[in-house]
Amino acid sequence: MPEIEARDLVKRFGAFRAVDGVTFEVAAGETYGLLGPNGAGKTTTMRMLAGLSPITSGTLRVAGLDVTRHGRAVRACLGVVTQSDGLDEELTARQNLEMFGYLVGLSRREARRRAREVLEFFALEARGDDEVADLSGGMRRRLAIARALVVRPRVVVLDEPSTGLDPESRVRVWEELAALKRSGVTLLMSTHYMDEAETLCDRLAILHSGRILDEGTPPELVARHAGSAAAEVRADAESRERVRQALANAGQRFREVGALFRVTGRNGQAPEVPALQGAQVTWRAANLEDVFLSLAGRGLAEE
Amino acid sequence: MSAVPNVAADVAELIRWRSVSALWWRHVLALARVWRVAVTWFVVEPVFVLVAVALGIGRMVGDVPPYGSYAVFVAPGIVVGTAMFHAIFECSWSAFQRIQQHLYETVLTAPVTVAEIVLAELAFATTRSLVSTVAVGGFAIGFGWIPLSALPGLLLVAVGVGLVFGGIGLLFAALSPTVHALSLVFTLVATPLYFFSGSFFPVDVLPDWLEPVAWAAPLTPLVHVSRGLVAGDLDWSHAAAAGYAAGLAVALFPLAVVLLRRRLLK
Repeated sequence: MPEIEARDLVKRFGAFRAVDGVTFEVAAGETYGLLGPNGAGKTTTMRMLAGLSPITSGTLRVAGLDVTRHGRAVRACLGVVTQSDGLDEELTARQNLEMFGYLVGLSRREARRRAREVLEFFALEARGDDEVADLSGGMRRRLAIARALVVRPRVVVLDEPSTGLDPESRVRVWEELAALKRSGVTLLMSTHYMDEAETLCDRLAILHSGRILDEGTPPELVARHAGSAAAEVRADAESRERVRQALANAGQRFREVGALFRVTGRNGQAPEVPALQGAQVTWRAANLEDVFLSLAGRGLAEE
Repeated sequence: MSAVPNVAADVAELIRWRSVSALWWRHVLALARVWRVAVTWFVVEPVFVLVAVALGIGRMVGDVPPYGSYAVFVAPGIVVGTAMFHAIFECSWSAFQRIQQHLYETVLTAPVTVAEIVLAELAFATTRSLVSTVAVGGFAIGFGWIPLSALPGLLLVAVGVGLVFGGIGLLFAALSPTVHALSLVFTLVATPLYFFSGSFFPVDVLPDWLEPVAWAAPLTPLVHVSRGLVAGDLDWSHAAAAGYAAGLAVALFPLAVVLLRRRLLK
Protein backbone atom coordinates (compact mmCIF):
# COMPACT_ATOMS: atom_id res chain seq x y z
CA MET A 1 0.00 0.00 0.00
CA PRO A 2 1.42 3.41 -0.90
CA GLU A 3 2.02 5.76 2.01
CA ILE A 4 0.52 8.68 0.07
CA GLU A 5 -1.95 8.22 -2.75
CA ALA A 6 -3.52 11.03 -4.80
CA ARG A 7 -6.06 10.13 -7.46
CA ASP A 8 -7.61 12.65 -9.89
CA LEU A 9 -7.15 15.32 -7.27
CA VAL A 10 -8.83 18.62 -8.11
CA LYS A 11 -8.95 21.94 -6.26
CA ARG A 12 -11.04 24.74 -7.67
CA PHE A 13 -11.13 28.33 -6.43
CA GLY A 14 -14.21 29.67 -8.22
CA ALA A 15 -13.54 29.05 -11.90
CA PHE A 16 -9.78 28.67 -11.37
CA ARG A 17 -8.46 25.12 -11.15
CA ALA A 18 -5.36 25.36 -8.92
CA VAL A 19 -4.95 21.57 -9.01
CA ASP A 20 -6.44 19.95 -12.08
CA GLY A 21 -6.52 16.17 -11.90
CA VAL A 22 -3.32 15.14 -10.18
CA THR A 23 -2.52 11.44 -9.62
CA PHE A 24 0.58 10.13 -7.88
CA GLU A 25 1.74 7.61 -5.29
CA VAL A 26 4.54 7.78 -2.75
CA ALA A 27 5.91 4.57 -1.27
CA ALA A 28 6.84 4.27 2.41
CA GLY A 29 10.33 5.62 3.02
CA GLU A 30 10.45 7.39 -0.31
CA THR A 31 11.20 11.08 -0.83
CA TYR A 32 8.88 12.48 -3.46
CA GLY A 33 9.21 15.95 -4.90
CA LEU A 34 6.68 18.24 -6.49
CA LEU A 35 8.66 20.45 -8.80
CA GLY A 36 7.23 23.43 -10.55
CA PRO A 37 7.06 27.19 -10.83
CA ASN A 38 4.92 29.39 -8.57
CA GLY A 39 1.25 28.74 -9.23
CA ALA A 40 1.81 25.18 -10.46
CA GLY A 41 -0.35 23.75 -7.67
CA LYS A 42 2.38 22.42 -5.36
CA THR A 43 1.33 24.30 -2.25
CA THR A 44 -2.38 23.65 -2.83
CA THR A 45 -1.71 19.90 -3.15
CA MET A 46 0.21 19.93 0.13
CA ARG A 47 -2.41 22.03 1.88
CA MET A 48 -5.07 19.50 0.89
CA LEU A 49 -2.92 16.75 2.33
CA ALA A 50 -2.47 18.67 5.59
CA GLY A 51 -6.21 19.28 5.90
CA LEU A 52 -5.79 23.04 5.40
CA SER A 53 -7.71 23.08 2.14
CA PRO A 54 -10.90 21.08 1.44
CA ILE A 55 -10.65 18.85 -1.64
CA THR A 56 -12.92 19.74 -4.57
CA SER A 57 -12.88 16.24 -6.09
CA GLY A 58 -10.73 13.16 -6.35
CA THR A 59 -9.22 11.21 -3.47
CA LEU A 60 -6.22 11.68 -1.26
CA ARG A 61 -5.06 9.02 1.18
CA VAL A 62 -2.28 8.89 3.73
CA ALA A 63 -1.39 5.50 5.23
CA GLY A 64 -4.59 4.18 3.67
CA LEU A 65 -6.78 6.78 5.38
CA ASP A 66 -8.92 9.19 3.41
CA VAL A 67 -7.87 12.78 4.14
CA THR A 68 -11.43 14.15 3.99
CA ARG A 69 -13.13 11.45 6.03
CA HIS A 70 -10.35 10.71 8.51
CA GLY A 71 -8.63 14.09 8.63
CA ARG A 72 -7.84 13.90 12.31
CA ALA A 73 -6.26 10.46 12.07
CA VAL A 74 -4.28 11.51 9.01
CA ARG A 75 -2.96 14.63 10.72
CA ALA A 76 -1.93 12.54 13.72
CA CYS A 77 0.67 10.78 11.55
CA LEU A 78 1.77 13.85 9.55
CA GLY A 79 4.47 16.39 10.23
CA VAL A 80 3.82 19.53 8.21
CA VAL A 81 6.14 22.45 7.51
CA THR A 82 4.26 25.23 5.76
CA GLN A 83 5.97 27.96 3.76
CA SER A 84 5.30 30.53 6.46
CA ASP A 85 6.97 28.46 9.25
CA GLY A 86 3.97 29.34 11.44
CA LEU A 87 6.08 29.69 14.57
CA ASP A 88 4.61 30.99 17.81
CA GLU A 89 6.22 34.39 18.30
CA GLU A 90 5.02 34.66 21.89
CA LEU A 91 6.92 31.59 23.08
CA THR A 92 10.57 30.55 23.13
CA ALA A 93 11.98 28.09 20.60
CA ARG A 94 11.80 25.26 23.13
CA GLN A 95 8.26 26.15 24.20
CA ASN A 96 7.21 26.06 20.53
CA LEU A 97 8.33 22.44 20.35
CA GLU A 98 6.95 21.36 23.72
CA MET A 99 3.61 23.01 23.09
CA PHE A 100 3.20 21.37 19.69
CA GLY A 101 4.09 17.96 21.10
CA TYR A 102 1.52 18.40 23.86
CA LEU A 103 -1.08 19.63 21.37
CA VAL A 104 -0.68 16.50 19.25
CA GLY A 105 -1.01 14.26 22.29
CA LEU A 106 2.33 13.62 23.96
CA SER A 107 2.44 13.77 27.75
CA ARG A 108 4.13 16.87 29.16
CA ARG A 109 7.17 14.87 30.16
CA GLU A 110 7.44 13.18 26.75
CA ALA A 111 6.97 16.54 24.99
CA ARG A 112 9.84 18.03 27.02
CA ARG A 113 12.07 15.06 26.24
CA ARG A 114 11.31 15.13 22.50
CA ALA A 115 11.82 18.90 22.37
CA ARG A 116 15.27 18.40 23.86
CA GLU A 117 16.06 15.64 21.36
CA VAL A 118 15.05 17.54 18.25
CA LEU A 119 16.80 20.72 19.43
CA GLU A 120 19.92 18.61 19.69
CA PHE A 121 19.40 17.00 16.28
CA PHE A 122 19.05 20.43 14.70
CA ALA A 123 21.96 21.84 16.72
CA LEU A 124 19.67 24.47 18.23
CA GLU A 125 20.16 23.63 21.94
CA ALA A 126 22.08 26.82 22.56
CA ARG A 127 19.17 28.88 21.17
CA GLY A 128 16.42 26.84 22.80
CA ASP A 129 15.42 29.48 25.31
CA ASP A 130 15.64 32.40 22.89
CA GLU A 131 12.66 34.29 21.59
CA VAL A 132 11.62 33.09 18.15
CA ALA A 133 11.92 36.66 16.86
CA ASP A 134 15.66 36.62 17.65
CA LEU A 135 16.38 33.62 15.40
CA SER A 136 17.75 33.97 11.86
CA GLY A 137 15.70 32.90 8.85
CA GLY A 138 17.60 29.62 8.58
CA MET A 139 17.12 28.84 12.25
CA ARG A 140 13.43 29.64 12.05
CA ARG A 141 12.99 27.23 9.16
CA ARG A 142 14.93 24.54 10.99
CA LEU A 143 12.86 25.13 14.11
CA ALA A 144 9.70 24.74 12.02
CA ILE A 145 11.03 21.43 10.66
CA ALA A 146 12.02 20.42 14.20
CA ARG A 147 8.48 21.16 15.36
CA ALA A 148 7.06 18.82 12.73
CA LEU A 149 9.38 16.06 13.97
CA VAL A 150 8.61 16.36 17.68
CA VAL A 151 5.80 13.82 17.36
CA ARG A 152 7.78 11.31 15.24
CA PRO A 153 5.53 11.54 12.18
CA ARG A 154 5.33 8.73 9.60
CA VAL A 155 5.02 11.22 6.78
CA VAL A 156 6.65 14.64 6.62
CA VAL A 157 5.29 17.29 4.29
CA LEU A 158 7.63 20.18 3.47
CA ASP A 159 6.55 23.14 1.40
CA GLU A 160 9.67 24.66 -0.17
CA PRO A 161 12.02 23.77 2.70
CA SER A 162 14.92 25.96 1.59
CA THR A 163 13.24 28.91 -0.14
CA GLY A 164 14.68 32.21 1.05
CA LEU A 165 17.63 30.70 2.90
CA ASP A 166 21.27 31.61 2.39
CA PRO A 167 23.51 28.91 0.81
CA GLU A 168 24.97 27.80 4.15
CA SER A 169 21.54 27.36 5.74
CA ARG A 170 20.23 25.57 2.64
CA VAL A 171 22.95 22.95 2.77
CA ARG A 172 22.33 22.58 6.47
CA VAL A 173 18.63 21.95 5.89
CA TRP A 174 19.49 19.44 3.16
CA GLU A 175 21.83 17.53 5.45
CA GLU A 176 19.17 17.37 8.11
CA LEU A 177 16.52 16.23 5.64
CA ALA A 178 18.91 13.59 4.31
CA ALA A 179 19.41 12.31 7.86
CA LEU A 180 15.65 12.26 8.32
CA LYS A 181 15.29 10.30 5.10
CA ARG A 182 17.77 7.69 6.31
CA SER A 183 15.60 7.19 9.38
CA GLY A 184 12.88 5.78 7.11
CA VAL A 185 10.38 8.64 7.14
CA THR A 186 8.33 9.25 4.00
CA LEU A 187 8.89 12.75 2.68
CA LEU A 188 6.74 14.80 0.36
CA MET A 189 8.33 18.09 -0.55
CA SER A 190 7.79 20.88 -3.01
CA THR A 191 10.50 22.98 -4.50
CA HIS A 192 11.29 25.17 -7.44
CA TYR A 193 15.02 24.54 -7.07
CA MET A 194 16.33 21.90 -9.44
CA ASP A 195 19.45 21.25 -7.37
CA GLU A 196 17.34 20.65 -4.29
CA ALA A 197 15.11 18.19 -6.14
CA GLU A 198 18.13 16.40 -7.60
CA THR A 199 19.86 16.19 -4.22
CA LEU A 200 16.96 15.01 -2.07
CA CYS A 201 14.22 13.38 -4.13
CA ASP A 202 13.96 9.72 -5.11
CA ARG A 203 11.16 10.53 -7.54
CA LEU A 204 9.66 13.72 -8.86
CA ALA A 205 6.50 15.00 -10.42
CA ILE A 206 6.86 18.04 -12.61
CA LEU A 207 3.82 20.26 -12.15
CA HIS A 208 2.59 22.99 -14.37
CA SER A 209 -0.76 24.81 -14.19
CA GLY A 210 -2.17 22.25 -11.77
CA ARG A 211 -1.21 19.20 -13.87
CA ILE A 212 1.60 16.67 -13.71
CA LEU A 213 3.59 16.92 -16.94
CA ASP A 214 5.76 13.91 -16.18
CA GLU A 215 6.97 11.79 -13.28
CA GLY A 216 10.05 9.70 -12.61
CA THR A 217 13.47 9.56 -10.95
CA PRO A 218 15.69 12.56 -11.68
CA PRO A 219 17.96 10.57 -14.09
CA GLU A 220 14.91 9.12 -15.89
CA LEU A 221 13.41 12.54 -16.37
CA VAL A 222 16.69 13.98 -17.56
CA ALA A 223 17.23 11.15 -20.06
CA ARG A 224 13.65 11.31 -21.35
CA HIS A 225 13.33 15.05 -21.75
CA ALA A 226 16.83 16.47 -21.95
CA GLY A 227 18.85 13.58 -23.35
CA SER A 228 22.33 12.53 -22.30
CA ALA A 229 23.97 15.91 -22.77
CA ALA A 230 23.07 19.50 -23.36
CA ALA A 231 24.80 22.04 -25.56
CA GLU A 232 25.06 25.66 -24.66
CA VAL A 233 25.49 27.79 -27.72
CA ARG A 234 26.70 31.31 -27.14
CA ALA A 235 26.14 33.65 -30.05
CA ASP A 236 26.76 37.34 -30.49
CA ALA A 237 23.95 39.67 -31.49
CA GLU A 238 24.57 39.53 -35.29
CA SER A 239 24.75 35.72 -35.45
CA ARG A 240 21.77 35.10 -33.23
CA GLU A 241 19.12 35.08 -35.96
CA ARG A 242 21.26 32.73 -38.09
CA VAL A 243 21.84 30.34 -35.17
CA ARG A 244 18.15 30.37 -34.39
CA GLN A 245 17.34 29.42 -38.00
CA ALA A 246 20.02 26.72 -38.16
CA LEU A 247 18.85 25.04 -34.93
CA ALA A 248 15.23 25.19 -36.04
CA ASN A 249 16.09 23.76 -39.49
CA ALA A 250 18.03 20.93 -37.83
CA GLY A 251 14.90 20.10 -35.82
CA GLN A 252 16.63 20.67 -32.50
CA ARG A 253 14.84 21.55 -29.28
CA PHE A 254 16.27 24.66 -27.76
CA ARG A 255 15.47 27.50 -25.47
CA GLU A 256 16.94 30.94 -25.95
CA VAL A 257 18.03 32.71 -22.80
CA GLY A 258 19.76 36.03 -23.50
CA ALA A 259 22.91 35.35 -25.52
CA LEU A 260 22.66 31.63 -24.78
CA PHE A 261 20.83 28.84 -26.64
CA ARG A 262 20.30 25.78 -24.47
CA VAL A 263 19.96 22.83 -26.79
CA THR A 264 18.64 19.62 -25.27
CA GLY A 265 18.23 16.10 -26.61
CA ARG A 266 15.59 13.55 -25.63
CA ASN A 267 15.08 9.79 -25.16
CA GLY A 268 18.61 9.39 -23.86
CA GLN A 269 20.19 10.99 -26.93
CA ALA A 270 22.38 14.07 -27.05
CA PRO A 271 21.22 16.85 -29.36
CA GLU A 272 22.81 17.19 -32.78
CA VAL A 273 24.19 20.64 -33.07
CA PRO A 274 24.94 21.67 -36.67
CA ALA A 275 28.10 23.58 -37.52
CA LEU A 276 27.43 27.16 -36.53
CA GLN A 277 29.47 30.09 -37.76
CA GLY A 278 30.12 32.80 -35.16
CA ALA A 279 28.91 30.70 -32.24
CA GLN A 280 30.68 28.99 -29.38
CA VAL A 281 29.39 25.56 -28.36
CA THR A 282 29.93 24.15 -24.85
CA TRP A 283 28.81 20.65 -23.89
CA ARG A 284 27.73 19.71 -20.41
CA ALA A 285 25.70 16.98 -18.69
CA ALA A 286 21.95 17.50 -19.01
CA ASN A 287 20.18 18.31 -15.75
CA LEU A 288 16.72 18.77 -14.30
CA GLU A 289 16.67 22.40 -15.20
CA ASP A 290 16.84 21.42 -18.87
CA VAL A 291 13.95 19.01 -18.28
CA PHE A 292 11.96 21.65 -16.60
CA LEU A 293 12.52 24.28 -19.25
CA SER A 294 11.76 21.84 -22.03
CA LEU A 295 8.59 20.49 -20.36
CA ALA A 296 7.30 23.76 -19.01
CA GLY A 297 7.93 25.39 -22.39
CA ARG A 298 5.82 22.71 -24.00
CA GLY A 299 3.17 22.93 -21.30
CA LEU A 300 2.83 26.64 -21.90
CA ALA A 301 2.71 26.19 -25.67
CA GLU A 302 -0.21 23.78 -25.37
CA GLU A 303 -2.38 26.23 -23.46
CA MET B 1 -25.66 -1.69 14.95
CA SER B 2 -26.09 -0.86 18.58
CA ALA B 3 -29.49 0.45 19.57
CA VAL B 4 -27.94 2.80 22.11
CA PRO B 5 -25.57 5.23 20.41
CA ASN B 6 -22.23 5.59 22.13
CA VAL B 7 -22.64 9.25 23.02
CA ALA B 8 -19.31 9.53 24.84
CA ALA B 9 -17.42 8.21 21.82
CA ASP B 10 -19.33 10.55 19.47
CA VAL B 11 -18.48 13.57 21.59
CA ALA B 12 -14.86 12.43 21.88
CA GLU B 13 -14.77 12.19 18.08
CA LEU B 14 -16.37 15.63 17.81
CA ILE B 15 -14.28 17.46 20.39
CA ARG B 16 -10.76 16.38 21.30
CA TRP B 17 -10.18 17.89 24.73
CA ARG B 18 -6.41 17.81 24.44
CA SER B 19 -6.68 20.34 21.58
CA VAL B 20 -8.65 22.70 23.80
CA SER B 21 -6.56 22.26 26.93
CA ALA B 22 -3.22 22.55 25.09
CA LEU B 23 -4.25 25.77 23.35
CA TRP B 24 -5.67 27.19 26.56
CA TRP B 25 -2.43 26.34 28.32
CA ARG B 26 -0.45 27.96 25.47
CA HIS B 27 -2.39 31.19 26.04
CA VAL B 28 -1.81 31.06 29.80
CA LEU B 29 1.90 30.57 29.22
CA ALA B 30 2.11 33.41 26.68
CA LEU B 31 0.29 35.75 29.10
CA ALA B 32 2.38 34.63 32.08
CA ARG B 33 5.53 35.49 30.12
CA VAL B 34 4.42 39.14 30.01
CA TRP B 35 2.89 39.21 33.50
CA ARG B 36 4.45 42.55 34.46
CA VAL B 37 2.61 44.25 31.63
CA ALA B 38 -0.49 42.15 32.20
CA VAL B 39 -0.79 43.48 35.75
CA THR B 40 -1.45 46.94 34.31
CA TRP B 41 -4.27 45.54 32.14
CA PHE B 42 -5.89 43.56 34.92
CA VAL B 43 -5.33 45.85 37.90
CA VAL B 44 -3.76 49.25 37.37
CA GLU B 45 -5.87 50.69 34.57
CA PRO B 46 -9.30 49.43 35.74
CA VAL B 47 -8.59 50.54 39.30
CA PHE B 48 -7.77 54.04 38.04
CA VAL B 49 -11.10 54.09 36.24
CA LEU B 50 -12.96 52.68 39.23
CA VAL B 51 -11.48 55.17 41.67
CA ALA B 52 -11.85 58.16 39.34
CA VAL B 53 -15.45 57.41 38.47
CA ALA B 54 -16.67 56.11 41.83
CA LEU B 55 -14.95 58.72 43.99
CA GLY B 56 -14.44 61.64 41.58
CA ILE B 57 -17.58 61.67 39.47
CA GLY B 58 -19.47 60.01 42.31
CA ARG B 59 -18.94 63.03 44.52
CA MET B 60 -20.49 65.33 41.88
CA VAL B 61 -23.41 63.00 41.19
CA GLY B 62 -24.56 62.21 44.69
CA ASP B 63 -26.76 59.19 45.47
CA VAL B 64 -28.57 57.03 42.94
CA PRO B 65 -31.75 55.69 44.48
CA PRO B 66 -32.46 52.91 45.25
CA TYR B 67 -28.83 51.76 45.11
CA GLY B 68 -27.27 54.30 47.43
CA SER B 69 -24.04 56.05 46.53
CA TYR B 70 -22.97 56.43 42.89
CA ALA B 71 -19.94 54.24 43.69
CA VAL B 72 -22.25 51.35 44.63
CA PHE B 73 -24.25 51.94 41.45
CA VAL B 74 -21.29 52.16 39.09
CA ALA B 75 -18.93 49.50 40.55
CA PRO B 76 -20.66 46.41 39.07
CA GLY B 77 -20.87 48.19 35.70
CA ILE B 78 -17.14 48.86 35.68
CA VAL B 79 -16.38 45.30 36.79
CA VAL B 80 -18.43 43.84 33.92
CA GLY B 81 -17.25 46.44 31.38
CA THR B 82 -13.59 45.75 32.15
CA ALA B 83 -14.16 42.01 31.83
CA MET B 84 -15.78 42.67 28.46
CA PHE B 85 -12.68 44.49 27.20
CA HIS B 86 -10.51 41.54 28.21
CA ALA B 87 -12.69 38.99 26.43
CA ILE B 88 -13.14 41.06 23.31
CA PHE B 89 -9.47 42.02 23.10
CA GLU B 90 -8.33 38.42 23.45
CA CYS B 91 -10.63 37.07 20.77
CA SER B 92 -10.36 39.91 18.28
CA TRP B 93 -6.89 41.46 18.45
CA SER B 94 -4.94 38.46 19.74
CA ALA B 95 -6.84 35.96 17.59
CA PHE B 96 -6.29 38.17 14.54
CA GLN B 97 -2.56 38.17 15.26
CA ARG B 98 -2.66 34.38 15.40
CA ILE B 99 -4.35 34.29 12.01
CA GLN B 100 -1.80 36.70 10.52
CA GLN B 101 1.19 34.88 12.00
CA HIS B 102 -0.14 31.54 10.65
CA LEU B 103 -0.26 30.14 14.15
CA TYR B 104 -3.73 28.64 13.66
CA GLU B 105 -2.47 27.11 10.43
CA THR B 106 0.24 25.30 12.38
CA VAL B 107 -2.28 24.25 15.01
CA LEU B 108 -4.58 22.86 12.31
CA THR B 109 -1.82 20.63 10.93
CA ALA B 110 -2.06 18.81 14.27
CA PRO B 111 -5.17 16.68 14.87
CA VAL B 112 -7.15 19.80 15.83
CA THR B 113 -10.39 21.21 14.40
CA VAL B 114 -11.56 24.81 14.04
CA ALA B 115 -14.33 24.14 16.56
CA GLU B 116 -11.65 23.19 19.11
CA ILE B 117 -9.72 26.37 18.38
CA VAL B 118 -12.91 28.39 18.98
CA LEU B 119 -13.58 26.53 22.24
CA ALA B 120 -10.02 27.20 23.43
CA GLU B 121 -10.27 30.89 22.54
CA LEU B 122 -13.59 31.19 24.37
CA ALA B 123 -12.17 29.33 27.36
CA PHE B 124 -9.24 31.70 27.56
CA ALA B 125 -11.41 34.79 27.02
CA THR B 126 -13.50 33.51 29.93
CA THR B 127 -10.37 32.99 32.00
CA ARG B 128 -9.33 36.59 31.40
CA SER B 129 -12.83 37.79 32.18
CA LEU B 130 -12.75 35.85 35.48
CA VAL B 131 -9.32 37.13 36.49
CA SER B 132 -10.38 40.68 35.70
CA THR B 133 -13.58 40.28 37.73
CA VAL B 134 -11.64 39.01 40.74
CA ALA B 135 -9.10 41.86 40.46
CA VAL B 136 -11.47 44.78 39.89
CA GLY B 137 -14.29 43.28 41.95
CA GLY B 138 -11.77 42.65 44.75
CA PHE B 139 -10.96 46.36 44.90
CA ALA B 140 -14.62 47.31 44.86
CA ILE B 141 -15.22 44.83 47.69
CA GLY B 142 -12.29 46.38 49.58
CA PHE B 143 -13.84 49.82 49.24
CA GLY B 144 -17.16 48.42 50.43
CA TRP B 145 -18.96 49.13 47.13
CA ILE B 146 -19.71 45.48 46.42
CA PRO B 147 -20.60 42.94 49.13
CA LEU B 148 -18.37 39.88 49.27
CA SER B 149 -21.49 37.71 49.01
CA ALA B 150 -22.05 38.97 45.45
CA LEU B 151 -18.69 37.62 44.24
CA PRO B 152 -19.77 34.04 43.31
CA GLY B 153 -22.63 35.46 41.26
CA LEU B 154 -20.31 38.00 39.61
CA LEU B 155 -17.99 35.14 38.61
CA LEU B 156 -20.92 33.44 36.86
CA VAL B 157 -21.61 36.71 35.05
CA ALA B 158 -17.92 36.82 34.09
CA VAL B 159 -18.31 33.43 32.41
CA GLY B 160 -21.20 34.86 30.39
CA VAL B 161 -19.10 37.93 29.51
CA GLY B 162 -16.23 35.68 28.34
CA LEU B 163 -18.45 33.55 26.11
CA VAL B 164 -20.52 36.38 24.60
CA PHE B 165 -17.71 38.85 23.99
CA GLY B 166 -15.17 36.19 23.12
CA GLY B 167 -17.65 35.07 20.48
CA ILE B 168 -18.16 38.63 19.18
CA GLY B 169 -14.39 39.17 19.11
CA LEU B 170 -13.90 36.00 17.06
CA LEU B 171 -16.50 37.13 14.52
CA PHE B 172 -14.51 40.30 13.95
CA ALA B 173 -11.18 38.43 13.83
CA ALA B 174 -12.60 36.02 11.25
CA LEU B 175 -14.19 38.72 9.09
CA SER B 176 -11.65 41.56 9.22
CA PRO B 177 -9.45 41.68 6.14
CA THR B 178 -7.01 44.11 7.78
CA VAL B 179 -6.06 45.30 11.22
CA HIS B 180 -7.76 48.61 10.40
CA ALA B 181 -11.08 46.88 9.81
CA LEU B 182 -10.50 44.98 13.05
CA SER B 183 -10.24 48.22 15.03
CA LEU B 184 -13.99 48.68 14.40
CA VAL B 185 -14.67 46.11 17.10
CA PHE B 186 -13.37 48.66 19.60
CA THR B 187 -14.71 51.89 18.12
CA LEU B 188 -18.12 50.54 17.09
CA VAL B 189 -18.72 47.75 19.60
CA ALA B 190 -16.69 47.72 22.79
CA THR B 191 -16.49 51.43 23.60
CA PRO B 192 -20.16 52.28 22.86
CA LEU B 193 -21.26 49.21 24.82
CA TYR B 194 -19.05 50.20 27.75
CA PHE B 195 -20.85 53.54 28.03
CA PHE B 196 -24.41 52.75 26.90
CA SER B 197 -25.17 49.47 28.66
CA GLY B 198 -26.32 50.88 31.96
CA SER B 199 -22.88 50.82 33.54
CA PHE B 200 -22.52 54.54 34.21
CA PHE B 201 -26.17 55.61 34.16
CA PRO B 202 -29.45 53.66 34.18
CA VAL B 203 -30.68 52.73 30.73
CA ASP B 204 -34.04 54.43 31.43
CA VAL B 205 -32.48 57.91 31.34
CA LEU B 206 -31.84 57.39 27.59
CA PRO B 207 -34.34 58.82 25.06
CA ASP B 208 -37.34 56.53 24.59
CA TRP B 209 -36.31 55.35 21.13
CA LEU B 210 -32.79 54.41 22.31
CA GLU B 211 -33.90 52.48 25.36
CA PRO B 212 -34.89 49.22 23.59
CA VAL B 213 -31.67 49.37 21.58
CA ALA B 214 -29.67 49.64 24.80
CA TRP B 215 -31.56 46.69 26.28
CA ALA B 216 -30.88 44.56 23.22
CA ALA B 217 -27.16 45.37 23.34
CA PRO B 218 -25.23 42.33 24.60
CA LEU B 219 -23.56 43.97 27.60
CA THR B 220 -26.76 45.41 29.14
CA PRO B 221 -28.23 42.13 30.45
CA LEU B 222 -24.91 41.22 32.06
CA VAL B 223 -24.64 44.63 33.78
CA HIS B 224 -28.25 44.30 34.88
CA VAL B 225 -27.67 40.88 36.48
CA SER B 226 -24.50 42.12 38.20
CA ARG B 227 -26.26 45.10 39.68
CA GLY B 228 -29.06 42.85 40.88
CA LEU B 229 -26.47 40.63 42.56
CA VAL B 230 -24.79 43.61 44.22
CA ALA B 231 -28.06 45.13 45.40
CA GLY B 232 -29.40 41.73 46.43
CA ASP B 233 -32.77 42.32 44.73
CA LEU B 234 -32.90 39.66 42.02
CA ASP B 235 -36.23 39.23 40.21
CA TRP B 236 -37.57 37.78 36.96
CA SER B 237 -36.01 40.58 34.93
CA HIS B 238 -32.61 39.29 35.97
CA ALA B 239 -33.52 35.74 35.03
CA ALA B 240 -34.67 37.00 31.63
CA ALA B 241 -31.45 38.96 31.20
CA ALA B 242 -29.35 35.90 32.10
CA GLY B 243 -31.35 33.80 29.64
CA TYR B 244 -30.81 36.39 26.90
CA ALA B 245 -27.05 36.42 27.51
CA ALA B 246 -26.94 32.61 27.55
CA GLY B 247 -28.84 32.53 24.26
CA LEU B 248 -26.35 34.95 22.71
CA ALA B 249 -23.43 32.82 23.88
CA VAL B 250 -25.00 29.68 22.43
CA ALA B 251 -25.80 31.37 19.11
CA LEU B 252 -22.36 32.96 18.72
CA PHE B 253 -20.40 29.72 19.05
CA PRO B 254 -21.45 27.99 15.80
CA LEU B 255 -21.31 31.31 13.95
CA ALA B 256 -17.71 31.85 15.08
CA VAL B 257 -16.81 28.29 14.04
CA VAL B 258 -18.29 28.70 10.56
CA LEU B 259 -16.67 32.10 9.92
CA LEU B 260 -13.27 31.11 11.28
CA ARG B 261 -13.33 27.89 9.28
CA ARG B 262 -14.05 29.90 6.15
CA ARG B 263 -11.13 32.18 6.98
CA LEU B 264 -8.63 29.44 7.79
CA LEU B 265 -9.48 26.53 5.50
CA LYS B 266 -9.49 27.63 1.88
